[in-house]
Amino acid sequence: MFLEDVKVIENIQIADNYYLMRVEGKKIPQHSKPGQFFMLQCKDNSKVLRRPISLHNVDGNILEFYYEALGKGTKEFTQLSIGETINVQGPLGNGYDTDLKGKNIVVIGGGMGMAPIKYLIKDLKDNNDITFIGGGRNAGAVKIIEKFDFENIQLKVATDDGSVGIKGNTVDILKEVLKDQHIDIIYTCGPHPMMEAVAKVAQENNIRCQISLEERMACGIKACVGCSILTKKGMKKVCYDGPVFESTDIVDVDVVDPNGGCK
Amino acid sequence: MSNRLNISFLGKKLNNPIMTASGCFGYGLEYKNYFNPNELGAAVLKGITMEPRNGNPGTRIAETPSGMLNSVGLENPGIEEFKKLIPSIKKELNIPLVANINGKILEEYIEIAKEVEQIEEIEMVELNISCPNVKDGGMAFGANPEMARLVTREVRKVLSKPMIVKLSPNVTNIVEIAKIVEEEGANGVALINTLLGMAVDIRKRKPILGNIMGGLSGPAVKPVALRMIYQVSQAVSIPVLGMGGISSTEDAIEFIMVGASAISLGTGMFGNPTLPIEIKKGLEKYCIENNIENISEIVGAAHPDGGAAYRNRLGGNNEIKG
Repeated sequence: MFLEDVKVIENIQIADNYYLMRVEGKKIPQHSKPGQFFMLQCKDNSKVLRRPISLHNVDGNILEFYYEALGKGTKEFTQLSIGETINVQGPLGNGYDTDLKGKNIVVIGGGMGMAPIKYLIKDLKDNNDITFIGGGRNAGAVKIIEKFDFENIQLKVATDDGSVGIKGNTVDILKEVLKDQHIDIIYTCGPHPMMEAVAKVAQENNIRCQISLEERMACGIKACVGCSILTKKGMKKVCYDGPVFESTDIVDVDVVDPNGGCK
Repeated sequence: MSNRLNISFLGKKLNNPIMTASGCFGYGLEYKNYFNPNELGAAVLKGITMEPRNGNPGTRIAETPSGMLNSVGLENPGIEEFKKLIPSIKKELNIPLVANINGKILEEYIEIAKEVEQIEEIEMVELNISCPNVKDGGMAFGANPEMARLVTREVRKVLSKPMIVKLSPNVTNIVEIAKIVEEEGANGVALINTLLGMAVDIRKRKPILGNIMGGLSGPAVKPVALRMIYQVSQAVSIPVLGMGGISSTEDAIEFIMVGASAISLGTGMFGNPTLPIEIKKGLEKYCIENNIENISEIVGAAHPDGGAAYRNRLGGNNEIKG
């Protein structure tokens, strides 16, 4: 398992509290899957837990993390300068099931839920037809899309304030897409109410849907049992059995943090 | 590696005094991608109950200054599933396995002790009378001296394996309770379990943990743990398994010097998954640099008498020479 000090080669503010950090290591694992995450260690020893951060992309010896600076730990990450090191542990958890060919796919990312989307689309786009729906509160929340290098992808954007794309939300766009074309599978990551609404639409239309959940966790490797949620298949660890789940397996969506998005 | 770290603990020979804290190490194999678990002295497994438990709902983890709160609430698959798991764990682990047992009521403690007595691969038992995260049982037993006496006595009747009683720090007089469990047949005491605490989300204006309160662990509790081990080890004649915020070799040495014969790692491993190996190397180095033949020579070294009386009461039980 990869546990190493990696070197920061870029750490930029995208908008508001949204940051993109690129790190370089000698032995970056190439077997990572979209939807997996890494545990990033804080330098300040008073922060005893690592921070689970979604894998935004892997490119050779470079890992990319798109993260939101909300708490003391992630705010510390924003202060990392080029050349500094950070200890990363991963990849952890399961990822999206991307072993697909010739499928019509909708990928929906909301706000910070855009984090795993870049890698997910990169993994899927050569063999499948993809519609990507990105959404957020405002222009800042969707600004990361400008850094995506998408070709042959249908791109649709919605913001709550209408500053970019249509004024509305991703679920409205999803419903429109489903009127026009047959969709085989939906992948989503974003605020919990959004994923819940997407999952409902998917279930109503009998479409497979994978969602990525978020929970506070301590170990990231199912040793502490801190991130368990109740699913239709019993208690599952978000860190290990997830963070990606089949939407139909989630019994009671309220058991996860309603403010949570994805890893 | 020399035998400087070899110890005898509750009659078992351990390669070193480094163990895991129950609830922080899963069922023994979760950390195997980061270090060989056979490098540990022994593995204390996640707590089990008779029936499967889902644990507590909602947010279970909160970080606090130099510590963390948890309110897992003993989520576990129950004894039947545990029995199925053990053979596959034992295939990979050739170190002593310690089962941590819990009950809601006295009868459940007795029943699960009977079950664990039958599991050949389990060499020691940690009787948990101190979990702060369950409404029934748990800390209720560990916080009341007479309840602690009763549960230890009754479990002892059905359990012949070495038994460590894990004590709660959420009491006024931990020495009194340690002496009671010793009287009732405990072969060792583990301290400290987590301290009851809470944290508030000021944006939501409500407690962070779904269970409102949880157990505080990590470096923040270390001074409390040291104090309690110091007090208890001067009053009992059984070994102490010390834990509570150990995150470096220096911390481990402090714990041993206040009277811990062995130590358990928990929260420290979350931030540093290779911590046991670092501490193992660190202790070895410390012994060499300080001309210490065996680590047990410094158990209780910080006592007023340098720990001589306590080590004498332990009867050299800790030490393997040669």
